[in-house]
Amino acid sequence: MRHLVCISALGVMAAMAFGQAPSGETKPAPATKSWNQPKTPWGDPDLQGTWTGDDCIGTPLQRPVKFGDRLYLTEQELAEREANREKTEHSDLEQVVAPGQAATIGGPEHWMERSRRPCKQTSLIVDPRDGRLPDILPEAKTRHVGAGAIVSDPKADSWEDFDYYIRCITRGVVGSILPVIYGNGQQIVQGKGFVTILQEMVHEARVIPLDGRPHAGPNIRSFMGDARGHWEGNTLVVETTNFVGNTTGVNGNGGGTPTSDALTLTERYTRTGPNEMRYELTVDDPKTFVRPYKVLLPLTEEPGYRNYEYACHEGNYGMFNSLSGARAKEKKAAAAAAAAKN
Amino acid sequence: MPDGKPNFTGLWEALGTANWDIRDHSAQTGPFIQLGATGAMPAGQGIVEGGEIPYTPEAAAQQKENLKNRMKLDPEIKCYMPGIPRANYMPFPFQITQSQRDIAFAYEYATSNRVVNMGKFKEGAVDSWMGTSNGHWEGDTLVVDVSSLNGNSWFDRSGNFQTEDTHVVERFKLADADHMNYEATIDDKTIYTRPWKISTVIYRRKEKNAQLNEFKCVPFTEELIYGDLKKK
Repeated sequence: MRHLVCISALGVMAAMAFGQAPSGETKPAPATKSWNQPKTPWGDPDLQGTWTGDDCIGTPLQRPVKFGDRLYLTEQELAEREANREKTEHSDLEQVVAPGQAATIGGPEHWMERSRRPCKQTSLIVDPRDGRLPDILPEAKTRHVGAGAIVSDPKADSWEDFDYYIRCITRGVVGSILPVIYGNGQQIVQGKGFVTILQEMVHEARVIPLDGRPHAGPNIRSFMGDARGHWEGNTLVVETTNFVGNTTGVNGNGGGTPTSDALTLTERYTRTGPNEMRYELTVDDPKTFVRPYKVLLPLTEEPGYRNYEYACHEGNYGMFNSLSGARAKEKKAAAAAAAAKN
Repeated sequence: MPDGKPNFTGLWEALGTANWDIRDHSAQTGPFIQLGATGAMPAGQGIVEGGEIPYTPEAAAQQKENLKNRMKLDPEIKCYMPGIPRANYMPFPFQITQSQRDIAFAYEYATSNRVVNMGKFKEGAVDSWMGTSNGHWEGDTLVVDVSSLNGNSWFDRSGNFQTEDTHVVERFKLADADHMNYEATIDDKTIYTRPWKISTVIYRRKEKNAQLNEFKCVPFTEELIYGDLKKK
């Protein structure tokens, strides 16, 4: 329910204070002064809540070349980003589709989730130093990439021409965390021996055992992988392996070059304040990238923000319409060709 | 648990054949004859207390119609979310993660899930497949009120059905560390003549390496759902 999420988000925007900046690239985040990491009754650091990466919506995964090795915006650049953010906030409140006008394929602006404060980073990738994806191996470049949401006239011979997100299967682990236009909620629920992370889009539930058990056997493969967690101080470290290869990539919504079955993801969740979390991710896929790389972004908890049921496949009219539209076009073209012959 | 509540955290699964029919049923040919014995329906004791679902005459006719057309209509076949209570007794495990506040249910089938809100009662903002779950403790029993169901779910493969007016109240109670008694009271004046109840036992999965696996079933259904729209 993107409408409801956004309306509640707008309501609280004004009341929100600015979040804490992420610290240096690789050093652990210092805790906010006069804030102590709360613990669960059984003594684990308590990370529970519904978190989003909304503040970095629009911040590119890869750093624009003009920033070079610089991770953080200058005061002036930050002020510009804040001005843009405020402008968007205002325009969202206005009616964007005038009576009698057609909505665009993107839907009205007020469907979108927005940042509440400007993201301070120039890119989400923090290592390599230039914030760019490492080179992709030649074999990986040959992998099939299905058409995503922004392709306006996709090849539609079969559902297999579309990506896993459009097919309502998954956005993969990374695609489910990187902030996109909406549906960025991550609800963390902890039990004794487990952390479960529930993601609104596409109704994922990652159950992460903390008891030190080995990974599932190598013949058990899945889209969301096999996650194992442990605590390093107050940081939850999650290592995920056993991916089925060639499905989702590691960009927003699971786009980009699909990763391989050799992918290992290492995530570090560190709460840095009552409503702030530092999220660090290392992507290591020796069959796809020439070297591992690292992503960093702040997650925040916003009052009133909650996950809704994202029943995607159950109402995937987009797939019906894309396929039946393509067949109708072919039929029309065949009829025109037959008429021209006669 | 430190708060004195029983600990439901872990992997659970119901046994039995209620997903075929929640009422008593004999063994019979399955809906897809090519599967032979592997697709046949096993006999089983029902989980409906008193044996019968108190349908109104119209609803009873609807159930028969559903059964006749189950290959087209059963949401399980299309990998749609199973709804409540069906998710709890499908032949797939589910993981409960019980915090000191909310309680998450992650079901293996279709990666469906829900979080039971244990705080102040929250109205469902919108109808959904898995509904809105509000829970509280009555002694050692976890009581979950499920409302705002969208009415598209079935109880089983036999066409027993619910509507958007269906209200479910579930009761989870540990019999011992590894067994729980599960009960659900189902009420819907539009199709039942009175509230009725199901009850079954759910077992903790004890294998050393047991874990929630992934059953993202959309890819298993696309040929069935979209096959006639594929380029010839």
